[in-house]
Amino acid sequence: MARSVWKGPFIDGYLLKKADKVRSSGRNEIIKIWTRRSTILPQFVGLTFGVYNGQKHIPVNVTEDMIGHKFGEFAPTRNFPGHGGDKKARR
Amino acid sequence: MLVHSFTELPEAIGDYGELTDCDGGRALRLKVQRVTPKGVIARVTGVSDRTAADALKGAELWVDRGQLPDAEPGEFYYEDLAGLKAFDRDGAQFGEVVGVENYGAGDLLEIRLNGVRRTELVPFSEAFVPEVDISAGKVIVAWPLEFEIANEAKDSDENE
Repeated sequence: MARSVWKGPFIDGYLLKKADKVRSSGRNEIIKIWTRRSTILPQFVGLTFGVYNGQKHIPVNVTEDMIGHKFGEFAPTRNFPGHGGDKKARR
Repeated sequence: MLVHSFTELPEAIGDYGELTDCDGGRALRLKVQRVTPKGVIARVTGVSDRTAADALKGAELWVDRGQLPDAEPGEFYYEDLAGLKAFDRDGAQFGEVVGVENYGAGDLLEIRLNGVRRTELVPFSEAFVPEVDISAGKVIVAWPLEFEIANEAKDSDENE
Protein backbone atom coordinates (compact mmCIF):
# COMPACT_ATOMS: atom_id res chain seq x y z
CA MET A 1 0.00 0.00 0.00
CA ALA A 2 1.28 3.45 -0.88
CA ARG A 3 2.13 5.97 1.81
CA SER A 4 -0.70 8.38 2.73
CA VAL A 5 -0.36 11.72 0.99
CA TRP A 6 -1.27 13.77 4.10
CA LYS A 7 1.91 12.58 5.81
CA GLY A 8 4.17 14.07 3.17
CA PRO A 9 7.38 12.40 1.99
CA PHE A 10 9.49 10.66 4.62
CA ILE A 11 12.93 12.11 5.25
CA ASP A 12 15.40 11.88 8.12
CA GLY A 13 15.66 15.31 9.70
CA TYR A 14 19.44 15.65 9.75
CA LEU A 15 19.61 15.31 5.97
CA LEU A 16 17.96 18.69 5.37
CA LYS A 17 20.47 20.39 7.67
CA LYS A 18 23.42 18.78 5.87
CA ALA A 19 22.08 19.67 2.44
CA ASP A 20 21.54 23.30 3.48
CA LYS A 21 25.06 23.49 4.85
CA VAL A 22 26.65 22.21 1.64
CA ARG A 23 24.44 24.33 -0.60
CA SER A 24 25.39 27.48 1.30
CA SER A 25 29.11 26.60 1.12
CA GLY A 26 28.89 26.26 -2.69
CA ARG A 27 31.69 23.69 -2.83
CA ASN A 28 31.85 20.35 -4.64
CA GLU A 29 31.40 18.16 -1.64
CA ILE A 30 29.92 14.72 -1.29
CA ILE A 31 27.37 14.52 1.51
CA LYS A 32 27.86 11.25 3.37
CA ILE A 33 24.54 9.76 4.39
CA TRP A 34 23.44 6.48 5.86
CA THR A 35 19.72 7.05 5.38
CA ARG A 36 18.71 4.97 2.39
CA ARG A 37 15.03 5.27 3.29
CA SER A 38 14.76 9.04 2.83
CA THR A 39 12.89 10.46 -0.14
CA ILE A 40 14.76 12.65 -2.63
CA LEU A 41 13.31 16.17 -2.47
CA PRO A 42 13.47 18.94 -5.10
CA GLN A 43 15.93 20.96 -2.98
CA PHE A 44 18.52 18.18 -3.35
CA VAL A 45 18.80 18.55 -7.14
CA GLY A 46 22.39 19.31 -8.15
CA LEU A 47 23.93 17.98 -4.93
CA THR A 48 26.03 14.83 -4.70
CA PHE A 49 25.33 12.40 -1.87
CA GLY A 50 27.44 9.47 -0.76
CA VAL A 51 24.81 6.84 0.01
CA TYR A 52 25.98 3.99 2.22
CA ASN A 53 25.41 0.53 0.74
CA GLY A 54 26.66 -1.44 3.75
CA GLN A 55 30.27 -1.34 2.63
CA LYS A 56 31.02 2.09 1.25
CA HIS A 57 29.43 5.34 0.18
CA ILE A 58 28.21 5.34 -3.42
CA PRO A 59 28.21 8.82 -5.02
CA VAL A 60 24.72 9.77 -6.18
CA ASN A 61 24.40 12.96 -8.21
CA VAL A 62 20.77 14.05 -7.79
CA THR A 63 18.89 15.10 -10.92
CA GLU A 64 15.29 16.19 -11.44
CA ASP A 65 14.01 12.84 -12.58
CA MET A 66 15.12 11.23 -9.30
CA ILE A 67 12.72 13.31 -7.18
CA GLY A 68 10.31 11.10 -5.25
CA HIS A 69 12.58 8.05 -5.30
CA LYS A 70 14.49 6.84 -2.24
CA PHE A 71 18.26 7.28 -1.93
CA GLY A 72 18.75 3.55 -1.46
CA GLU A 73 17.50 2.84 -4.98
CA PHE A 74 20.71 4.31 -6.39
CA ALA A 75 23.20 2.50 -4.18
CA PRO A 76 22.78 -1.26 -4.72
CA THR A 77 23.91 -3.53 -1.93
CA ARG A 78 24.84 -6.32 -4.32
CA ASN A 79 27.02 -5.91 -7.35
CA PHE A 80 27.17 -7.75 -10.66
CA PRO A 81 30.48 -7.02 -12.37
CA GLY A 82 29.20 -6.88 -15.95
CA HIS A 83 31.01 -6.17 -19.18
CA GLY A 84 31.70 -2.81 -20.79
CA GLY A 85 30.50 -3.80 -24.23
CA ASP A 86 29.70 -0.70 -26.26
CA LYS A 87 28.52 1.30 -23.26
CA LYS A 88 29.57 4.93 -23.09
CA ALA A 89 30.11 7.22 -20.12
CA ARG A 90 29.00 10.84 -20.46
CA ARG A 91 30.27 13.82 -18.54
CA MET B 1 19.77 -19.09 -30.48
CA LEU B 2 19.57 -17.27 -27.15
CA VAL B 3 22.37 -14.73 -26.70
CA HIS B 4 23.15 -12.78 -23.53
CA SER B 5 24.06 -9.35 -24.82
CA PHE B 6 26.20 -6.83 -22.90
CA THR B 7 25.76 -4.01 -25.40
CA GLU B 8 24.04 -0.78 -24.33
CA LEU B 9 20.96 -1.77 -26.34
CA PRO B 10 20.70 -5.57 -26.35
CA GLU B 11 19.65 -5.72 -30.01
CA ALA B 12 22.74 -3.73 -31.05
CA ILE B 13 24.77 -6.92 -30.89
CA GLY B 14 23.72 -7.60 -34.47
CA ASP B 15 25.04 -4.25 -35.73
CA TYR B 16 28.76 -4.90 -35.41
CA GLY B 17 29.24 -7.36 -38.25
CA GLU B 18 31.34 -10.40 -37.50
CA LEU B 19 31.80 -11.42 -33.89
CA THR B 20 34.72 -13.60 -32.91
CA ASP B 21 35.47 -15.94 -30.04
CA CYS B 22 38.03 -14.84 -27.47
CA ASP B 23 40.95 -16.18 -29.56
CA GLY B 24 39.74 -14.30 -32.60
CA GLY B 25 39.73 -17.56 -34.55
CA ARG B 26 36.10 -18.20 -35.29
CA ALA B 27 33.88 -15.52 -36.83
CA LEU B 28 30.09 -15.52 -36.51
CA ARG B 29 27.47 -13.14 -37.82
CA LEU B 30 24.22 -12.70 -35.88
CA LYS B 31 20.85 -11.69 -37.21
CA VAL B 32 18.70 -10.48 -34.32
CA GLN B 33 15.10 -11.77 -34.37
CA ARG B 34 13.72 -10.29 -31.16
CA VAL B 35 14.62 -9.27 -27.62
CA THR B 36 13.17 -11.20 -24.68
CA PRO B 37 13.62 -10.78 -20.93
CA LYS B 38 16.00 -13.76 -20.99
CA GLY B 39 18.18 -12.37 -23.79
CA VAL B 40 18.33 -11.80 -27.50
CA ILE B 41 16.96 -14.39 -29.89
CA ALA B 42 19.19 -14.43 -32.96
CA ARG B 43 19.96 -16.53 -35.99
CA VAL B 44 23.60 -17.34 -36.63
CA THR B 45 24.70 -17.33 -40.23
CA GLY B 46 25.83 -20.80 -41.29
CA VAL B 47 24.14 -22.55 -38.37
CA SER B 48 20.98 -24.21 -39.58
CA ASP B 49 20.46 -27.31 -37.47
CA ARG B 50 20.22 -28.13 -33.81
CA THR B 51 23.52 -30.03 -33.62
CA ALA B 52 25.50 -27.12 -35.00
CA ALA B 53 23.72 -24.75 -32.60
CA ASP B 54 24.48 -27.05 -29.66
CA ALA B 55 28.19 -26.83 -30.46
CA LEU B 56 28.04 -23.08 -29.87
CA LYS B 57 26.50 -23.42 -26.42
CA GLY B 58 28.45 -21.34 -23.89
CA ALA B 59 30.58 -19.62 -26.54
CA GLU B 60 31.74 -16.09 -25.73
CA LEU B 61 31.49 -13.61 -28.57
CA TRP B 62 33.62 -10.48 -28.84
CA VAL B 63 33.58 -7.36 -30.97
CA ASP B 64 36.83 -5.86 -32.19
CA ARG B 65 37.31 -2.38 -30.67
CA GLY B 66 37.89 -0.98 -34.16
CA GLN B 67 34.36 -1.93 -35.22
CA LEU B 68 32.77 0.43 -32.69
CA PRO B 69 31.88 3.89 -34.03
CA ASP B 70 33.74 6.93 -32.72
CA ALA B 71 32.29 8.33 -29.50
CA GLU B 72 30.67 11.76 -29.51
CA PRO B 73 32.50 14.66 -27.82
CA GLY B 74 32.13 14.28 -24.08
CA GLU B 75 31.44 10.55 -24.41
CA PHE B 76 33.90 7.79 -23.65
CA TYR B 77 33.62 4.05 -24.09
CA TYR B 78 33.80 2.17 -20.80
CA GLU B 79 36.56 0.04 -22.29
CA ASP B 80 38.62 3.12 -23.15
CA LEU B 81 38.39 4.48 -19.62
CA ALA B 82 39.40 1.23 -17.95
CA GLY B 83 43.15 1.13 -17.44
CA LEU B 84 43.74 4.89 -17.39
CA LYS B 85 46.08 6.19 -14.70
CA ALA B 86 44.44 8.53 -12.20
CA PHE B 87 46.31 11.69 -11.24
CA ASP B 88 45.37 14.35 -8.72
CA ARG B 89 45.44 18.06 -9.55
CA ASP B 90 49.08 18.31 -8.46
CA GLY B 91 50.14 15.65 -10.97
CA ALA B 92 50.70 12.81 -8.52
CA GLN B 93 49.44 9.41 -9.61
CA PHE B 94 47.28 7.87 -6.91
CA GLY B 95 45.55 5.00 -8.68
CA GLU B 96 44.17 3.39 -11.79
CA VAL B 97 40.69 3.24 -13.30
CA VAL B 98 39.53 -0.37 -13.15
CA GLY B 99 36.00 0.10 -14.44
CA VAL B 100 32.95 2.28 -14.86
CA GLU B 101 29.70 1.72 -13.00
CA ASN B 102 26.27 3.24 -13.37
CA TYR B 103 23.64 2.52 -10.76
CA GLY B 104 21.10 4.94 -12.22
CA ALA B 105 22.54 8.15 -10.81
CA GLY B 106 25.27 8.95 -13.32
CA ASP B 107 28.48 7.24 -14.37
CA LEU B 108 31.06 6.47 -11.70
CA LEU B 109 34.75 5.79 -12.23
CA GLU B 110 35.97 2.90 -10.12
CA ILE B 111 39.56 3.69 -9.13
CA ARG B 112 41.92 1.25 -7.43
CA LEU B 113 44.23 3.19 -5.15
CA ASN B 114 47.96 2.53 -5.25
CA GLY B 115 49.12 -0.14 -2.85
CA VAL B 116 45.71 -1.19 -1.57
CA ARG B 117 43.05 -3.59 -2.82
CA ARG B 118 40.05 -1.40 -2.15
CA THR B 119 38.52 0.76 -4.83
CA GLU B 120 36.88 4.17 -4.66
CA LEU B 121 33.99 5.43 -6.78
CA VAL B 122 34.28 8.93 -8.23
CA PRO B 123 31.39 10.70 -10.02
CA PHE B 124 32.24 11.07 -13.70
CA SER B 125 31.45 14.78 -14.01
CA GLU B 126 33.38 17.92 -14.93
CA ALA B 127 33.54 18.88 -11.27
CA PHE B 128 35.17 15.67 -10.07
CA VAL B 129 36.97 14.54 -13.26
CA PRO B 130 38.05 17.78 -14.96
CA GLU B 131 40.27 16.16 -17.60
CA VAL B 132 40.25 12.89 -19.52
CA ASP B 133 43.12 12.20 -21.92
CA ILE B 134 42.67 8.79 -23.54
CA SER B 135 45.72 9.12 -25.80
CA ALA B 136 47.98 9.96 -22.84
CA GLY B 137 46.30 7.25 -20.77
CA LYS B 138 45.38 9.46 -17.84
CA VAL B 139 42.52 11.16 -16.03
CA ILE B 140 42.80 14.12 -13.68
CA VAL B 141 40.59 13.69 -10.63
CA ALA B 142 39.68 16.20 -7.93
CA TRP B 143 41.34 13.97 -5.36
CA PRO B 144 40.96 13.50 -2.44
CA LEU B 145 37.20 13.76 -2.64
CA GLU B 146 35.81 16.39 -0.32
CA PHE B 147 33.23 15.14 2.10
CA GLU B 148 30.77 17.44 3.76
CA ILE B 149 31.47 16.27 7.27
CA ALA B 150 34.75 15.13 8.75
CA ASN B 151 33.41 13.70 11.96
CA GLU B 152 31.65 10.49 10.98
CA ALA B 153 30.91 9.65 14.60
CA LYS B 154 28.64 12.66 14.71
CA ASP B 155 26.75 11.30 11.73
CA SER B 156 26.24 7.96 13.43
CA ASP B 157 24.83 9.65 16.50
CA GLU B 158 22.37 11.60 14.43
CA ASN B 159 21.36 8.49 12.59
CA GLU B 160 20.35 6.58 15.71
